[in-house]
Amino acid sequence: MRNSQRKLFIMIIPAFVLLILFVYFPIVKGGVVAFQNYNLFDLTNVHFIGLDNFKAVITDRNFNFWRICLNTVLWIFVSLFFQFVLGFGLALLMRKPFKGRGIYSALVFYPWAVSGFAIGLVWAWMFNGQFGMINDLLMRLGIINNNIGFLSDPKFAMMSVIIANVWYGVPFFAIMLLAALQSVPKELYEAAEIDGATKLRQLFDVTIPYIKPTIISTTLLRTMWIMNFPEIIYGMTGGGPANSTNILATLMINKIYKFYDYGQGAAIGFIIMSVLFVYAFFYLRLTSSKEVVL
Amino acid sequence: MTSFKKILKIIALALYLIAALLPFYWITITSLKDSKEIYSFPLKYWPSKISFNSYKQLFSFANFGIYFRNSAIVSLIAAFAAMIISMFSGYALSRLKMKRFKNRILLALYFTQMIPGFIIMAPLFTMLSQFQMTDKLSTLTILYITMVIAFSTIMAKSFFDRIPISLEEASMIDGCNIVQSLFKIVFPLTLPGLAAIFSFAFVNIWNELFLATMFIFSDDKMTIPVALNSFISKAGISWDIMSAGLVVSLLPTMIIFAFAQKYIIAGLTEGAVKG
Repeated sequence: MRNSQRKLFIMIIPAFVLLILFVYFPIVKGGVVAFQNYNLFDLTNVHFIGLDNFKAVITDRNFNFWRICLNTVLWIFVSLFFQFVLGFGLALLMRKPFKGRGIYSALVFYPWAVSGFAIGLVWAWMFNGQFGMINDLLMRLGIINNNIGFLSDPKFAMMSVIIANVWYGVPFFAIMLLAALQSVPKELYEAAEIDGATKLRQLFDVTIPYIKPTIISTTLLRTMWIMNFPEIIYGMTGGGPANSTNILATLMINKIYKFYDYGQGAAIGFIIMSVLFVYAFFYLRLTSSKEVVL
Repeated sequence: MTSFKKILKIIALALYLIAALLPFYWITITSLKDSKEIYSFPLKYWPSKISFNSYKQLFSFANFGIYFRNSAIVSLIAAFAAMIISMFSGYALSRLKMKRFKNRILLALYFTQMIPGFIIMAPLFTMLSQFQMTDKLSTLTILYITMVIAFSTIMAKSFFDRIPISLEEASMIDGCNIVQSLFKIVFPLTLPGLAAIFSFAFVNIWNELFLATMFIFSDDKMTIPVALNSFISKAGISWDIMSAGLVVSLLPTMIIFAFAQKYIIAGLTEGAVKG
């Protein structure tokens, strides 16, 4: 058996060679870039500048950093809240088998197969201020009298990108929670039934406690993914109008793809990563969960 | 359940379905209208005459056929390679006996899920340009394999965990060596799992935008997301061509998702989170 264990080691090597070359090694260098003057236009002039990148990001007049931080928090938690509530609702509705559940779930889960960028474009079209379907529907229903520039009006832009993000994220929670729901033993409900607990009581006293580990892990994973998920915003507004939909991740894209400033981009990446580490640490402490595999 | 509750439930399920599919419907309808009707009032929820004009334009005006081919080649090769590589690494992780070592490896894999991809772009770019590896579809393919390999391995491991080790032991007693028992006994049993890994990888790779934007400059090497992105910067978007492009870009992942949805879901729920 010794011999076969050695063969197992060999099987891991290809995957890790790739990861070391193209992920772990660049990430160490990426940490360094955050402290360097590193602009693609001026690659001959790469040198250490200490915390200047961080300072530049925070004090940039074109991008109000604290506003962007606030936007990030809003983007994450409002999206997460609705994704979770609606996803949980959907999972509960789909819990008992019904005719055509297979097809139904394939259709309902489709948003999840679309790229963030494509979602951004599709929703940009839906929310279009002139020819958008949403304006048209709201007009026909008599809810509004004039077209709203959902993506050009700073008052509505954040709400609009969040709606698109919720649309995208509901299936993820539904999938995860549906799987968890199906693992709850039936006897627990039978016992609760005998004790005379209502359906609502059963939900809070049986179901939720039982699937708590899944809830904790999915919300944690999802928080991280939403924080690192600028594609929808990029496709819909590019961070505008007037910074109203800029989050840290889109700011990073702007720095890298518009200004070619990798140094500042990496500095923002550094900030995002640190925040996520601290967040994950305290989140797991507070919920005292040991079941999360992270 | 009372019939009133049943009706409420059906209404809720129907509402979810409409909400999930409405954007797909609207973009498809837009792509089938002629360009005048897209920009005319009142909005039509069904085109007065179905027109494939925007598709014709898409494939003649832009090199969309080439972009589609590029995307297809890169996604198929990368997803297939990722499936093969993670088949071995996932199997090894599932069967390794050293617990601490195994946990460290798993942690290293999960760590990759937490980092913002952009932080590695700059070093990756300078590194690869030193070796003249930028603007090549082969480089993009390798990067995509790397992008999905961590998660694919985690998924593969969870699938192999479900196959009892006694099956392999029995085959070894019958005289198979480890490689033979792998190919004759273990891998055939995980075919659904491998299908899930392939589809999941394919969907992710097909949809990827930012790596491709960074590493591809020539027009004839663009993938579909890069091409769609370039439509935006080109003097405003004309939504007839854009919507046709979006529909074409959605089709392959939707077809794959329809077939593999069951396995992807199983893979996700087993792989990502231990509940």
